Amino acid sequence: MKKHMKIFKEKRNTIVLVSAVFSILIFNSCVNLDPDPVEFDLPPGTYGSVGDLDNAIIGVYGQLTNAAKWTTFHAPSWAGDDITTHRESNKADFREFDQRNVASANGRLLNNWDAVFNIVNTANSILERSEGLVDLGVDPEKVNRLIGEVYFLRGLAFFHAARVHGKIPLPLTRLPDPNIGLSEVSEVFAQIEADFLEAESRLPDVYPGVMPGAVRPNKGSAQSLLSRLYMHWAGFPLKDTSKYTDAANKAKEVIDNSGAYSFGLMDDLEDLWKLENRFNNESVFTMSYCGDCGFATANLKNSILGLPGDFDGWQETFAEVRFFEDFPEGARKEATYRTDLDWENFVDQKNPVFKKVAGPEGDLPSGAFMTGRSDFYMRYAEVLLIYAEASGRSGNVTPESWEALNKIRRRASGLPYDTPDAGVDITTGDIAELAFEERKWEFAGEYLRWFDLVRMERVEEALTRRDEPGIINESNAIIGSLGTDNYFSPIPAAAIEANPNLAN
Amino acid sequence: MKKKLFEFLTKGIPFGMFLLLLGLQQVHAQNTISGTVVDNESVPIPGANIVVKGTTNGVVSDFDGNFTINASSDDVLVISYIGFTKKEVTVGSQSTIAVQLDPDVEELDAVVVIGYGTAKKSDLTGAISSVSTKSFENQPVTRVEEALQGRAAGVTVAKGGAPGAGYKVRIRGVNSVTGNNDPLVVVDGVFGGDLRTINPNDISSMQVLKDASALAIYGSRGSNGVILVTTKKGAGKAKVSLEHFFTISQLANEISTIGSADFARTKNTNLIAGGAAARYSDNDITALENNPFDYEDMLFQTAIGNNTQLSISGGDNKIRYFVSGNYANQEGTVITTNYERYALRSNISANITDKLKVGFNMYGSRETQVNNPDNFNRFKGSVILKALTWDPTLPVQDESGEYITRSDIANNNFNPIATLKRSNRERAADRFNANIDIGYDITNNLKYQLIVGVGTISQNIESFIREDNPSDANANHTQINFSNAKTTNHQISNILNWNKSFNKHNFDVTAVYEFQGSRVLTNGYNTAGTSTLNFYTSDNEDISREDFFNRGSNSAIKSYLGRVQYNLDNSLYLTGSLRVDESSRFSKENRTGYFPSAALAYSFNKLKFIEDSNVLSNLKFRAGWGQVGNENINATARFDRTSPNGRTVFDGENVLIGLVDSQEGNPDLTWETTTQVNVGLDAGFFSGKLTASIDYFHKTTEDLLLRTVLPGTTINQFQNVGEVVNKGVDFSLSGSIIENDNLTWDATFTLSHLDNEVTKLTEGREQILGSINSIDGTSNPLNVIKVGEPLGSFFGGTYMGTWKEGETFPEGVQAGDAKHLVDEEGNNVLGVIGNGLPTLTWGLNTTVTYKNWLLNAFVNAASGFDVYNQLAGAINGGTGDYRDDLSPLNAGQWTPQNQTERPRRGAPNNLLSSRYIEDGSFIRLSNLKLGYSFEDLISGVNTLQLYVSGQNLFLITDYSGYDPEVSSTPVNSNNNNVDAGVGIDKGAYPNPRTIALGVKIDF
Repeated sequence: MKKHMKIFKEKRNTIVLVSAVFSILIFNSCVNLDPDPVEFDLPPGTYGSVGDLDNAIIGVYGQLTNAAKWTTFHAPSWAGDDITTHRESNKADFREFDQRNVASANGRLLNNWDAVFNIVNTANSILERSEGLVDLGVDPEKVNRLIGEVYFLRGLAFFHAARVHGKIPLPLTRLPDPNIGLSEVSEVFAQIEADFLEAESRLPDVYPGVMPGAVRPNKGSAQSLLSRLYMHWAGFPLKDTSKYTDAANKAKEVIDNSGAYSFGLMDDLEDLWKLENRFNNESVFTMSYCGDCGFATANLKNSILGLPGDFDGWQETFAEVRFFEDFPEGARKEATYRTDLDWENFVDQKNPVFKKVAGPEGDLPSGAFMTGRSDFYMRYAEVLLIYAEASGRSGNVTPESWEALNKIRRRASGLPYDTPDAGVDITTGDIAELAFEERKWEFAGEYLRWFDLVRMERVEEALTRRDEPGIINESNAIIGSLGTDNYFSPIPAAAIEANPNLAN
Repeated sequence: MKKKLFEFLTKGIPFGMFLLLLGLQQVHAQNTISGTVVDNESVPIPGANIVVKGTTNGVVSDFDGNFTINASSDDVLVISYIGFTKKEVTVGSQSTIAVQLDPDVEELDAVVVIGYGTAKKSDLTGAISSVSTKSFENQPVTRVEEALQGRAAGVTVAKGGAPGAGYKVRIRGVNSVTGNNDPLVVVDGVFGGDLRTINPNDISSMQVLKDASALAIYGSRGSNGVILVTTKKGAGKAKVSLEHFFTISQLANEISTIGSADFARTKNTNLIAGGAAARYSDNDITALENNPFDYEDMLFQTAIGNNTQLSISGGDNKIRYFVSGNYANQEGTVITTNYERYALRSNISANITDKLKVGFNMYGSRETQVNNPDNFNRFKGSVILKALTWDPTLPVQDESGEYITRSDIANNNFNPIATLKRSNRERAADRFNANIDIGYDITNNLKYQLIVGVGTISQNIESFIREDNPSDANANHTQINFSNAKTTNHQISNILNWNKSFNKHNFDVTAVYEFQGSRVLTNGYNTAGTSTLNFYTSDNEDISREDFFNRGSNSAIKSYLGRVQYNLDNSLYLTGSLRVDESSRFSKENRTGYFPSAALAYSFNKLKFIEDSNVLSNLKFRAGWGQVGNENINATARFDRTSPNGRTVFDGENVLIGLVDSQEGNPDLTWETTTQVNVGLDAGFFSGKLTASIDYFHKTTEDLLLRTVLPGTTINQFQNVGEVVNKGVDFSLSGSIIENDNLTWDATFTLSHLDNEVTKLTEGREQILGSINSIDGTSNPLNVIKVGEPLGSFFGGTYMGTWKEGETFPEGVQAGDAKHLVDEEGNNVLGVIGNGLPTLTWGLNTTVTYKNWLLNAFVNAASGFDVYNQLAGAINGGTGDYRDDLSPLNAGQWTPQNQTERPRRGAPNNLLSSRYIEDGSFIRLSNLKLGYSFEDLISGVNTLQLYVSGQNLFLITDYSGYDPEVSSTPVNSNNNNVDAGVGIDKGAYPNPRTIALGVKIDF
């Protein structure tokens, strides 16, 4: 009996124990089906402070840096008569532009497309989300400036793509319409103008607390880009020549306020390409990089990218032979090319080397591909030449127009730009064409020439000249059409694949 | 076969006569019966149960196996012991009974684990493949996945060649584009096992649940199939088992490329033709002729592996135990690669009382993987691809010992040998699982089971990868990564089972309430461009180049399950189940999923035509329908997210990091649902000596969980989009062809046919371009997901041979160049040009034993699929970073004299071309083993087997690359899973050929 009792007791203990375990495990679910979404992430939402807005704008700049640090950002400019690339190596995408035979599958085209619309989308997201900020009683001046900056960057992104493709989609909402179609060039230009005007009205004369050269844009930066926009608006394909007046006026506005904006010419053109001068007043909008901070924020366009295999270069950006031969001798040519190199006897490929790309002798660490060189997205020199050209094309030439042109001519000859010099200055002739010619030399290798050829419909003329037999022939012969039918690059195949409405 | 039948008859008839005689005895006296219980080797079994059938009168055998019991002559004694087949003996006139129990080899075949319970194999209504230890014990396997390959119909296993690489296991095709298609692995009732880390020796059986009626009980996680792993329990006398094998592995075949000297000569010829000077002098060429640089030879090595297994097991009616240890070390055939695993297991179960059972299983493992090439920079191809396309005129080190990392010709990337030799990337994963299994019989028919499992995985990566030289300007290609990931899981399952028979009506009802939670935390550190020589000293002073990250996620599921199994007279079987899951991955409104299933089976065994048949011994028809789900996506998939990757500098020095939108939330996100119909037939012949099973299935997966990129953005969003259909047939045939005292021969054949098709995508979309990019430096995709095509089709242009002399060439093209199909504007027409998913796979596993000799062969094969051979494309040069043609001379290239369809040497090359699509069909001798067992060689040793085996001894295929079975893992697997790019070879790690020598000892 006792034994049985014991067994019973043991049994009872077991039952108690098991029941206790049951009740704990069955009835207390220890899982949480609603995890806290902000435990690990900062989800986007309406901005709660200017700090949030600031953070988001750095995000847009991050996207700009990520795109612009690569030569890819300017790959369409290889179509110009100033720049070429290696005849083989892994430069096929660049050659397609160089040879006027751009496929819709061109990888650089797609990368640029994605990069541009990343900037646009992020800008749209900020504009939408910051709507509530105005009522929060935060520093209205700062909010206004930050919003102005967003408009500036969106306009810049649209403009960057419009110059390449002509018709582009114009998404203006946080998430773009997945079936968005292409807008006509006139609509595109109107949108870019609206964005830059919005930026112009909101941005201060000088952005507080940044390096010289408008590392973050000011009112003058917006006006300068507007003047560039009007030049294209007046040229191919819209040819609304009334815009030359707008171009001249905007450029003049920048010139008249250059003191307030801290814009001006560098004394010596050669100095512009030195690393030590990466922040200077000639740049009206600068993209800044850090050469020692790693891949993400280094400029990857210069130094060995501009050198042939003879110097262990990466053979990406070479100067065209014909353009080099036609280039007027003088200080500007010296500042543009590495004339110390015997390019005619290169083994790898016989092309001159851009000093603007490879850097002045000994300036960039040898063999470097990551540099801290800045990009001068637009220079004050261009504002002056736009003024000269636009005043000529709009029939409103003034002595100031000639002075604007002559400043550039004087500096090109190695003279002080502000001191009149009878040997160099000109005050008669077709100022528009003289200024256009001046741009050719002044901005050689700065990824602008192709777009000048497009707006003035000079592609055939320039590229036929490029391929005339010379002391050394071009490596990459023209394959595609030089007519206006081939001025704009196709919409990337992958973009059409994702949204067939972009096909036409 | 005739002989076997005869043998069966000669053995069977006397036994039947004996039973008949016993049955005729009609004596009713109560006597004291004494007896002994021994095993098949006449070793006494202590603790065996002897019960008079139908009574509670029972005793237990003593230490010597002896027992005494009171019974009358018409009583039947039931003698049972765990691990042995139960035996019934009618007392009759006997006063002493000697009982020999046979080990229950059929135990695993007869009873299968079906998830939340077991069932007799004959009672199954669903499609389940069983893989028992017996079927793979003849192959020296270090990986559980190898044991599944070719042994379970409907299961495909794709190996990775790298030691310790993940194997891809798929059950009945692939459903999901973004979500993971890995089957759910349940080890001893606990979810989330990783087959890679399990010691194959610990496994007693694996069941592969394939059709929805079997899977529906796993509800939201069943759609990729479920593999139930049951680990061993000890039984009987203590048994010590020791096995060691040693392997030697080598590259199975080589790919020919141009030799160093020929390359130099060709380069000179081309340079001179282009007006340039020769690059190599005659002396250079002679030197290369005498001392060529063969980068393939430098990359691959003969690899040594060792694997040691030790297990101790045993038990009686109170306690059973199984304790094991395993150490595996496998060098890779690519230099510097290595894998090491330690695994320890302890399974203990105890019968506390008649009604209460407790089991406690513990498993711990440590894996260390060194230099898996998949973790190296593969943007432009793997180290293997780089080695085969690297400048063959340069050594790895110059005379001063400095590594030569770049060349201005051939491959434009870093020297792969220099990279591997100076890098050390170690991934160490520690896994600890513990689970308690408590069973309590509330009544004879009502049982309660509680499974509590906890698991932790700690993964640590220490990576030092050096591609360039620190002395280079802007040396930026030394990448340091350090990361830790900790996953903690918990699971609690409450299982209530009621089982009762009323006459011919048998019911089995199961109810489950279960919940699981998981928390993943990762943190890490990256830097680049350090000049230090190793990982630990690399903490860079320059904090602007350092990155830190902390991330994490939580997920949870709560589930309810009900299942009713009914059978009428063991002939008609019906099963119905419903599982309800609530998952944290979906918002409240979309969180609850209902997964029903229904199945019926009918056994014809009681019908006269089978009972009377000498041939057909079993025939069963099965049909089932059910729905299962898939929730294998990021825990944070439904939320809006930003990522801190907008980096910029305003002052040229200080990096600022801004946030950009990276994911758009989707509150409507819900399960991917697979509806499956299965019809099957099981047949047994010659008393089960030969069994066959055939199943037809049709699976429709809807609301695919797709990670889409919102059009016009790079913002991701998870959506339920599209539909994929898999249909096919699984067939298996297994039999003992010869079975006598000296000679046995048995074989198992499995075959699966699979037809996969994407039937729907987003409204209005015909295709989604894949995210597996070409290695030519463009972002063009190599794969596409297209309606009407199998998942993960290859994307590219259609190759039309070469341009011949006399044809009108487009601009920039010359005779001998590749010709592709173009549209009116001259652009290549891109479309589906192949598919990497095999439509037919089969395996044949056969074992012959003669006296003490054993011979096992395992052949597996796949056909009806293509491989996109990007490696061959890269060797041809002429595109992207592949600047020179390294294909062998005289490989049939076009010449003006011989205008073949293979483009001329040095022609511009397009990798996105059907030119590089090859038939991947193959037949592989996966394993061939010859063993000899010594008996009574040493006292105390039961068996000692010595064996030699070879794996991957031959491969019959037309594929020109290393191996058609391996495919490169996507570099970026975030957007599409690996199945969306199966069959793309960008220099995948080939399967080695391995010879193993082993010894197996049982004490």
